[in-house]
Amino acid sequence: MEPIRVLIAKPGLDGHDRGALIIAQGLRDAGMEVIYTGLRQSPEQIAQAAIQEDVNVIGLSSLSGAHKTLFPKVVEALRANNAEDIPVIGGGVIPTEDIPYLEEKGVRKIFTSGTAMSDTATFIKQLVQGKETPPPNKISHIGIAVQHLEQAIPFYQHSLGLPLESVETVEEEKVKVAFFPIGDTRIELLEPMDEDSPIQKFIDKKGEGIHHIALDVDDIEKRISLFKEQGISMLNETPKQGAHDSRIAFLHPKAGQGVLYELCEEKQEG
Amino acid sequence: MSGSYENQKNKWKQNVDKTLQKFPERKEPFETSSGIPVHRLYEPEKPEDGYLEKLGFPGAYPYTRGIQPTMYRSRHWTMRQYAGFGSAKETNERFRYLLDQGQTGLSVAFDLPTQIGYDSDDPMAEGEVGKVGVAIDSLEDMEQLFAEIPLNKVSTSMTINAPASILLAMYIAVGEKQGVAKEKLTGTIQNDILKEYIARGTYIYPPESSMRIITDIFSYCQENLPKFNTISISGYHIREAGATAVQEVAFTLANGMAYVDAALAAGLEIDQFAPRLAFFFNAHNQFFEEAAKYRAARRMWAKIMKEKYNAQDPKSWKMRFHTQTGGSTLTAQQPDNNIVRVTVQALAAIMGGTQSLHTNSKDEALALPTEDSARIALRTQQILAHESGVTETVDPLAGSYFVESLTDEIEKKANEYIKRIDEFGGAVKAVEAGYMQREIHQTAYETQKDIEKGEDVIVGVNEFTIDEEVEPELLRVDEKLEKNQVEATQRIRENRDADAVTDSLKKLREAAVNNENLMPFIVEAVKVYATVGEIANVLRDEFGEYTAM
Repeated sequence: MEPIRVLIAKPGLDGHDRGALIIAQGLRDAGMEVIYTGLRQSPEQIAQAAIQEDVNVIGLSSLSGAHKTLFPKVVEALRANNAEDIPVIGGGVIPTEDIPYLEEKGVRKIFTSGTAMSDTATFIKQLVQGKETPPPNKISHIGIAVQHLEQAIPFYQHSLGLPLESVETVEEEKVKVAFFPIGDTRIELLEPMDEDSPIQKFIDKKGEGIHHIALDVDDIEKRISLFKEQGISMLNETPKQGAHDSRIAFLHPKAGQGVLYELCEEKQEG
Repeated sequence: MSGSYENQKNKWKQNVDKTLQKFPERKEPFETSSGIPVHRLYEPEKPEDGYLEKLGFPGAYPYTRGIQPTMYRSRHWTMRQYAGFGSAKETNERFRYLLDQGQTGLSVAFDLPTQIGYDSDDPMAEGEVGKVGVAIDSLEDMEQLFAEIPLNKVSTSMTINAPASILLAMYIAVGEKQGVAKEKLTGTIQNDILKEYIARGTYIYPPESSMRIITDIFSYCQENLPKFNTISISGYHIREAGATAVQEVAFTLANGMAYVDAALAAGLEIDQFAPRLAFFFNAHNQFFEEAAKYRAARRMWAKIMKEKYNAQDPKSWKMRFHTQTGGSTLTAQQPDNNIVRVTVQALAAIMGGTQSLHTNSKDEALALPTEDSARIALRTQQILAHESGVTETVDPLAGSYFVESLTDEIEKKANEYIKRIDEFGGAVKAVEAGYMQREIHQTAYETQKDIEKGEDVIVGVNEFTIDEEVEPELLRVDEKLEKNQVEATQRIRENRDADAVTDSLKKLREAAVNNENLMPFIVEAVKVYATVGEIANVLRDEFGEYTAM
């Protein structure tokens, strides 16, 4: 893989470049190619330098309080040069309350003082790789834990009028599942096959109800490794077999405020 | 320096008597809470060989124990809080507030356009007007800044470097309007361009021309402003950029020698200008090293002036310095903790014998200080001065095995750096080669890595952290200020005598070309309301602009 290229820039008249120089070297040590503009760069000069150097990301540093004027101007200058795909991040002495404004103006992330160099490096890697890893396509299905499929199916099939697509057994998970297509997605009913089934444990603890939301993704391995870099813990670090020959992996529910998310890469048709 | 210990002691006693006539001690007697008397000076029972050479008596060469014979028993240091933001009018209000609160000197922070010689309406100034200090474009702004502050009653320190001559000229002009002769003005201009190239970034012209402007100021002030400190040779920013205590001392003194060399080359006499050189140091958290640093720096400078430059006037040997607590040591996390850091740092500066002190406000890692936090910072100094008792004897750390050993080691290691800089051909050449810049960056990077590995504990950052919403009350610079300032400056341009301005700038240009002292021409130009940017641009045309490698 090509190394990530970063432009570290000092917009405006601020002469404090200790932070800029440190982060430049830190990112170099993290394997990136870093170009430092030096002091007193106008937003236009920064945009031009970023385009000429063909960088993946621009890091701005300001300690003088001019960030609210100058950071958005860099974003605008990129846009004016059709280079808005180069993400802009920033750091320095920036009050927390200014961050929403800067993000609204198109700055992707602000790192305030006390941020570890390694956190910035990780963020940049994700930002760059994230562009190659598109967001999930849709909700693949919503999983609902039920004690007995035959008691649950009539509501979905008859009262709601959804077609019953299939009923199958996933031995690995010790569950029997029924699928109802609904629009672009599906409802999946899950019935535990024995006492050791994770679904039985869920029902014992929380009762019947929504168990998980499955997200349809294209490249499940890449998505998992991206999450791991972000410090998101996975219940499954390698994909396993799901229903319909899909490949699935669950995230730890603490990643989603208690919601259990499943990544689901559907079997390619044809 | 010859003479026995008793001889030297007698000289000190005479020196004390002389000082007491002018500055009587604050109390008589000084004693602890238990009634134990606190003497003016504590000495070794049996002075070791070399004691007089290394330590001596306070107020006497080599000044390791302080530059005055009674130090803080007579007078505390000057409490000088750096302030300045937004418009001249607002800053004037803050100044008058601080003077009312018992502050004893003014310290002006200028915004970046002023510091780099751009008017507020210059495109380069966009977004920066009034942000890190006050915006000064013309004499009118300076008149507002010092409105109702009699310049014969305050001493003013101005953090201004590349355009120092312009701001000093404006200060002279304001004094004149108030009826204060320039001979009476007291204060300091920072005027230390070398550390701008090394660490702070507000340079304009290349080093050689900058050094010429500086020696012009030395020469002019020698004749016209004899009580004004013509330069504040600054380690502060070198330290903030990441240097160690040793590097701070070494690079600052090396820069100091470069100014001395430049002044001598310009034909000035050492004892004419050296007494007006002042220094400016940082205060970080490592208490003993910091206190030792000031003692070592004072001894080194005394030796340099006496032995290397053969200065005869003891005033030339004395290193007088201002101290500011370390901005880079403050944390955005748990900002109240910064009050404690500032206290430790301020105490180190006092133990090191500083002449004046700025204590940082707790919120400086986040934004400009509010009035409340600026007051706490000043109160910190007042508590140390009046309640802690540390000011009641001279140089209380002297004789500590640890402190004396640190003092010697700092001197030794700093001299190694100075030797290396001499090999480059002095500080100007070393700066041009990027030597100090690289050394400082390397230290800064290693420090950062140590913090991230957790080898250096920063309370509230990598240890003892809490979940917190950081939303302190912050001082904001009004967004309308830039527009108002731009309009005011444009109004000045319309209403002044345009011919007089053109004429004064033409004469300034000729003086630049003909190698005449620039100061009188700058004074004439500011009096007819030529702006900072206009004057700086004339010199940009003639001298060129510096760009870092």
